[in-house]
Amino acid sequence: MRTASAPVRLLAGGTLAAVTLTGAVALGAAVGETSIPVETVLKTVANRLWAAGYALDPIDEGIIWNYRIARALVAACCGASLALCGAVLQSLLRNALADPYILGISAGASSGAVAVAILGLGSGFLTLSLGAFAGALIAFGLVALLALGAGRGPAAIILAGVAGSQLFNALTSFIVTKSATADQARGIMFWLLGNLSGVRWPDVWLAVPVALAGFVLCQGHARALDAFAFGTQSAASLGVPVKRVYAALIAAAAFMTATMVSIVGSIGFVGLVIPHAARLLVGVRHGVLLPASALIGAAFMVAADILSRTIIPGQVLPIGVMTALVGAPAFAMILIHRPVAR
Amino acid sequence: MYSRTLRFLLAAAATTLFAATPKAAFAQQTHYPLTLTNCGQEITFEQAPERVVSVGQSSTEILYLLGLADKVVGTALWLGPVLEEFEAVNAEIPRLADNAPSFESVLSAKPALVTTQFESQIGPKGVVATTAQFADLGIPVYTAPADCIGKDNSTGGDGLRTETFAMDLIYREIDDLARIFDVKERGEALIADLKAREAAAKEKIATLTGDISAVFWFSSAELQTDPYVAGRRGAPAYIMSTLGIRNVIDSAEEWPTIGWETIARADPTVIVAGEMDRRRYPADDLAVKLEFLRTDPVTSLMPAVREDRIVIMDAQAMNPTIRTIEGIEILAEGLAQVGLAK
Repeated sequence: MRTASAPVRLLAGGTLAAVTLTGAVALGAAVGETSIPVETVLKTVANRLWAAGYALDPIDEGIIWNYRIARALVAACCGASLALCGAVLQSLLRNALADPYILGISAGASSGAVAVAILGLGSGFLTLSLGAFAGALIAFGLVALLALGAGRGPAAIILAGVAGSQLFNALTSFIVTKSATADQARGIMFWLLGNLSGVRWPDVWLAVPVALAGFVLCQGHARALDAFAFGTQSAASLGVPVKRVYAALIAAAAFMTATMVSIVGSIGFVGLVIPHAARLLVGVRHGVLLPASALIGAAFMVAADILSRTIIPGQVLPIGVMTALVGAPAFAMILIHRPVAR
Repeated sequence: MYSRTLRFLLAAAATTLFAATPKAAFAQQTHYPLTLTNCGQEITFEQAPERVVSVGQSSTEILYLLGLADKVVGTALWLGPVLEEFEAVNAEIPRLADNAPSFESVLSAKPALVTTQFESQIGPKGVVATTAQFADLGIPVYTAPADCIGKDNSTGGDGLRTETFAMDLIYREIDDLARIFDVKERGEALIADLKAREAAAKEKIATLTGDISAVFWFSSAELQTDPYVAGRRGAPAYIMSTLGIRNVIDSAEEWPTIGWETIARADPTVIVAGEMDRRRYPADDLAVKLEFLRTDPVTSLMPAVREDRIVIMDAQAMNPTIRTIEGIEILAEGLAQVGLAK
């Protein structure tokens, strides 16, 4: 690899990414609650993409195209976005424990979802997802204001995030204990742990552009992120417009995370651990780290979703349970077997 | 008070109940103190309770049907409108809460007995209060046998049935309450009436045309996500087995969440959609349910939807209640209407 030129590496990387993503989505289309032959899956794709006109059971075709593929694509976007945001925030805030939810987004989304589902706020036109999205942005806005007031530096942002998260978590608990019945609370819990069952094509048309735009924006700042590794002052002395980069990246991360959380719920673990795994595999240079995080995150999330649907027959587990259950041991393996010197 | 009882007896009971059994069939009087074993606990009555708070619509309606409305000093946990014949009576009785009442609101009604339809409300870990909390104050709690016999509520949620529900459990509840209030004759009349209705509904579809299967859709936490459908041991299972219909769902949970993928491929002959006043989730609304079935890319292709084999049923009938009989009548009627039975 050392002798390979940049275009060759780019081509190799691009091919690897394309193959991995296609493979993951194909697996997502082929495996589900019920068993549908792989041949039917391939014919469905041919029918839909190239109007091949194979005669198929319309229900099978509908399940594969409208349920499974839409779901796999959203899972991939969601995994990629969360991992990407994690990688960006960990560098920007210079904290290994930073994750997309450190900006209060998960807590805000819960409050928003609970306000809609239990208090019936804006009932009729506000859905659970819109409520979660609004809650996430409000919480992030509050955290941002708090951070601005608290002074500069990563520590201020992290502390503001902690304070904001606590506040919104308390608000959620307040609403739940005040007004929810046991089964309402259970429904909300299930939603908060992440669930891709309701995902359809309209969600894909929301998730794909947000994930792509977010990726392009972050990738464009890869060099600046490299500079941040030496601290904000060093970055500034290297000619990085620190404030602008901070604002742009944090806002982008908040927006991406809020979008994904509002589609699938707060899925933990991915945003925290995938960037570390990627760093151990490809190193710390953001030009490579960001795409690697996104790719691993995407593939990981699709795999976790498949497992969540199939590990207990006839029952769907929250995907957040799956990501941690599978991800934690996998991460432990990487930690133990990582190359000692890099 | 006396006149209300009289009016009530004339209006409701006399028309149907006493017509069903000859007056000569004298039931035994209750001898106090009366000790009953209810849901694993012994409860004792020195005399017929004068004041009762009822948590759960079915419990409340059983008391009304037994002509005990004048003893009811508070009600809670309503899923839909009260039985039509009790509208006037019910309007005069304080409704402590539409959903779960608070412990103190129950106490402030000074009940000599509390009846509960669900252990999740009042039971070992009840959200209103525990049975022990009421026992400390000398207030006995009567729990609907349908919620504790052959049912494990320790797993949370709607519980897990270890034995299939049968109307005998409701008849037992009627009989117990009739004994507690020393109105055994009315209890026997009510049970005889319900049994007669069940037999008549069964008669109606003496001949089913072929193998008929069904799925009972109660609601969904989010419109497009996996719906709550009837497991194989709850009230819908009883309705189906009474009429010789196969349930396409095989879970032992009371209301498991099963993916549309599984339901669509199971291809039920009939879809039974729940109708209710509750508006906790968007899919509680029957119109929203029907709209989903007809527009979702997969469910709209299901033969049951395309050929409009959708039966509308009050959600109360889908829970183990006195209205489960009504569920048998409605489904029998619905099958006859779509030409599946003679």
